[in-house]
Amino acid sequence: MFELFTAMVKEEWRIHSTIFGSLSFALFPVMIFGIAFMGSFLLPLFRTVLPAGSLAIILHALFVLLGIMVGGFGLVGMEAMNRRFGQASLLAYSARSLPLSETMIFANFVVKDTVYYFILWVFPFVAGFFLASPFIGIGLYLPFLLLLTLTLAFLTGLSAVFFLSTVYSRSKALFALIFALVLIPWGAISLYTNVNAVVLFPPLLLFNSFSWMTLLATGLLIAVPFCISIILFSSEYTDTTKRYKNILTPLTRKLSFFPYPSLAAKDLVDLRRSGAGIGQTIFSFFIPLGLLWVLLSVLAPFLPAGGLYILFAILTGVISSTMYTWITAFDTFGAYACLPVSVSTLLTSKISTFAVMQLVPVVLIAFVTTATGAVAWLLPSIVLCLAVSFYTLAVTVWLTGLSPSVLVYDAKVLVRYLLVVGIVLIVLIILSFLNPYYAFTSVLLGIPAWYLLRRGYRIWEARDQTGF
Amino acid sequence: MTKVIAAQNLTKSFGETIAVNNVTLSVEKGSLFGLLGPNGSGKTTMIKMLTGQFRPTSGSATVLDLDVVQNPVRVRELVGIIPEQETPPSFLTSIEYLHFVGAVRKIPDIDEKAAWWFDFLDFKDKRDILCKDLSRGTRQKLMFAQAFLHNPTLALIDEPLINFDPIMQRTVKDFLIGYVRKGNTVFISTHILEIAEEICSEFAILHKGNLIHTGTVAEITTKNQHLEEFFLSEVKSSAYV
Repeated sequence: MFELFTAMVKEEWRIHSTIFGSLSFALFPVMIFGIAFMGSFLLPLFRTVLPAGSLAIILHALFVLLGIMVGGFGLVGMEAMNRRFGQASLLAYSARSLPLSETMIFANFVVKDTVYYFILWVFPFVAGFFLASPFIGIGLYLPFLLLLTLTLAFLTGLSAVFFLSTVYSRSKALFALIFALVLIPWGAISLYTNVNAVVLFPPLLLFNSFSWMTLLATGLLIAVPFCISIILFSSEYTDTTKRYKNILTPLTRKLSFFPYPSLAAKDLVDLRRSGAGIGQTIFSFFIPLGLLWVLLSVLAPFLPAGGLYILFAILTGVISSTMYTWITAFDTFGAYACLPVSVSTLLTSKISTFAVMQLVPVVLIAFVTTATGAVAWLLPSIVLCLAVSFYTLAVTVWLTGLSPSVLVYDAKVLVRYLLVVGIVLIVLIILSFLNPYYAFTSVLLGIPAWYLLRRGYRIWEARDQTGF
Repeated sequence: MTKVIAAQNLTKSFGETIAVNNVTLSVEKGSLFGLLGPNGSGKTTMIKMLTGQFRPTSGSATVLDLDVVQNPVRVRELVGIIPEQETPPSFLTSIEYLHFVGAVRKIPDIDEKAAWWFDFLDFKDKRDILCKDLSRGTRQKLMFAQAFLHNPTLALIDEPLINFDPIMQRTVKDFLIGYVRKGNTVFISTHILEIAEEICSEFAILHKGNLIHTGTVAEITTKNQHLEEFFLSEVKSSAYV
């Protein structure tokens, strides 16, 4: 069904370019290329503080994360797109009026996602590195190998999330079993042997030592979960008759301490019934942070005392800020357009819900610091994490309003986001590395955060609410 | 007569496209006003401006004596709105959505009011079904109910009957006629001219963003003409074709 595939690719492109303007969106891969090209010139500098092996781990972990995030969006993407664009407006839905099975449509959707994000992210990144390589004394072989292994790392993340989410929707017990079957041996190897389990990750293994057998094994590791998820795929739109008890009204009463209890209750009901609450917590929070912890543990010997906890707290803060996308994924302002609700009211309500959700990273950090016997780092870590999370949230609200998961693909928005967040993070990391008590200065981020939020309110209140 | 809607030189542009061009119109209290026009003529944009969802590029409008740019939330508090495309929130059930609207609008006795609408529009059996799983017709019933839950004196409805079956169309048409008889006002936008001719007292024709006619339905029917013929001749002879 090549026609369906090409039509889906065109459709994806047109959705993005309609939202951001063709130029803004076309610039996105150019920007990734530019970052990779210029970043490559910093490689000789990095090599003086980090072994090449650790750099390779970081790079591959980033692309696994990218795959997980793209796949994770697929978890709620159907519903989110449905909310944003209407049910009949996407090929994924309208193709059902054609003589095609849902399996075929989903298979095309998976392949489209793979090709599309390869062109959008993976290829421009490696191309930037490839062009810079002659200037930094790296042979041409390495970029080609990297193109292969980073693509495989991205696909591993993507296929794992598609597979796990399909299994999760079929049987939660089987999901838990598979999770345990992967994590327990991995943890056991890390704890009881001298082998760094991270390097057993097949694409990384391939990067460190290429062999056709490893390539075949990596291909199978990706293809089998993909195929199983395509075979097991079942559209959520097929079950139309399930009845639900009214949980909104009692929840609204319980949340009476919120500024807008009914809006907050609706957010929580959305999260619960869509499965996004648990799904996103696992796939977009715990799994990425678990990977980050493993990654940072590898880097720990090269960091100052407590550096592991400082970096983990900061990165947990950044990832926690993305919880804002979970509670905005199902909403457009259009859904409230017939009600006496202003954009500011809606933003305030979302921020209140977000604030309560920050209990999750606090509990995680408390668990990590106490479980690893680093209770002294508990308070600085929590302060850092929350300060970064709320500051990044303020930047997100300022730049993207109620549409963070859509507008982040606007190159101009992403550059501003990276600059405004990145600079602050670098300053915080340096300060906290100098003296851990400087971590408490992060509370000062409340001032720019407040300013950015006020500014965001003004900007989004003044815009026409066109649906996204 | 009191004007409940007054638009003065209202214009809305999206880039180089002018969706609504210099429209001046008014709607009297107690009328059932139909804004007619072909697809893409600017009807929905007009309703969005009148309910404070879009800011006019130029011109001004008041709804119930409130400036729609200065007081968009207050306007939406007072009026009932049924948008053409927006659907109720996917993961709330029908009854939860009406409770949600009741909580946002601070409507007392929401249980009784919701129950009345479920009975009246004959969708009691769908009250515990998620909105995303409802048929288009049932969603429109739900959106209809939410717009009238607080008994507004003015309702703005974009394509009011498009997803209803003939039985429900009759029910809703009778409801709207009765609602207006009680002294309320209804502003509908539609391209289904039979409906407009049957229920509207006054109408305006919008074509390519321009207002090409305003008048009463009686003026047309007393000449033994149908609204459809009149509409087609106006649109064809319009300078904006």
